[in-house]
Amino acid sequence: MSERIRVAAAGAVIGLAAVLLVGFGNPQNMGFCIACFIRDQAGALRLHTAPIVQYFRPEIVGIVLGSFAISVIHGDFRPRSGSSPVLRFLIGFAVMVGALVFLGCPLRMVLRLAGGDLNALVALLGFIAGIGIGCVFLSRGFSLGRAGQASGVEGTAFPASMTFLFVLFLAVPALFAFSSSGPGSMHAPVAISLAAGLAVGIAAERTRLCMAGGIRDIILIRDFTLLGGFAAIFIAALIGNLATGRFSLGFADQPVSHSMHLWNFLGMLAVGLGSVMLGGCPLRQLILAGEGSSDSACAVLGMAAGAAFAHNFSLAASAGTGPGTNGKVAVVIAIIMLLAIAAARTARRES
Amino acid sequence: MEDFDQVVTFHTHYGALRFRKRHGSICTLKPVPRSLSSSCGTAAFIRGAVDMSMVDEYVEGIYEKEGDGWRRVM
Repeated sequence: MSERIRVAAAGAVIGLAAVLLVGFGNPQNMGFCIACFIRDQAGALRLHTAPIVQYFRPEIVGIVLGSFAISVIHGDFRPRSGSSPVLRFLIGFAVMVGALVFLGCPLRMVLRLAGGDLNALVALLGFIAGIGIGCVFLSRGFSLGRAGQASGVEGTAFPASMTFLFVLFLAVPALFAFSSSGPGSMHAPVAISLAAGLAVGIAAERTRLCMAGGIRDIILIRDFTLLGGFAAIFIAALIGNLATGRFSLGFADQPVSHSMHLWNFLGMLAVGLGSVMLGGCPLRQLILAGEGSSDSACAVLGMAAGAAFAHNFSLAASAGTGPGTNGKVAVVIAIIMLLAIAAARTARRES
Repeated sequence: MEDFDQVVTFHTHYGALRFRKRHGSICTLKPVPRSLSSSCGTAAFIRGAVDMSMVDEYVEGIYEKEGDGWRRVM
């Protein structure tokens, strides 16, 4: 099977899994959202106290463990670290702030589009703009540095921590916070969420599916391989939404969204730029963390910290009304910080 | 995709773009084959063999297809 077909098949699996998860209880157009789910996990762990977004999402655990297991089986598990971990933490933080101002990661952006939410189309333009800016830096020598080989203990620490927290979640749920209303209260049964996460983790690891990588490859090398996954997620989810009567075209009254176009654009610009700098979108960071990359684990931890800050300091947008002043200022600061890091890590060399 | 003799992988995307700028007449840039790596970097697919003078500090490795797998030549 050609790589393009494999990537598209993985995209179809993710798109269908997302529609199924909504059918089983996840919020509308949020079958999967890496940013939202990491944010919900941060809430479940009481890193923030926003009462409507607290639930230890098993999908995230499944994605990491699916990637870990399949990479071990196929010999792709390679513990590595040392590629600017603190910068990756900060970039992950900025990506989360941008995502929570838009209200979704790149994956949810596509799922929102497939549900007819045109606010996500504005966000897609911002995402493409951010990736374009990132590509300018890549073509001028941007790099966060090479990772070196790490110990097996280092490489398994993140998947093991996820497993420990999940076992704790099952065994002693009283330790965790649970939303009783809002998006955090809406979820599929644990076993189904975990199974969907495992399937997505395996599919994405085997195909390297990445929401940012597809657009980056078109801009940099005119290659459409990875974009097939992006398109397949959209088509599969669109068909699923049409078949289940969950498609509603327009800007207004879309689930967990707002119509402040400038901030949807800028939020996803930050996500696109940060994703190129990290070498992949938030989903890809989970996959790489499962494959043993401590650097990507740092990016995920940065996202979790960003989510906690976003809700503790009112940076996240509210559904319907959009971001407040704090969120707007935070997105601008996040973009400036990303540009500063990109410039500082771009070595101008003769070519 | 099959009309190549060797595949060059790089430490950074910049390394691949720099390689194409210098040796664009004999190479095409594509994503690193999944069967070669789980990374999502960029590789140069070369017609003919890579001359060692073309190798710089950005080159990570050079590979040739061998059956269903790959043989590392550098």
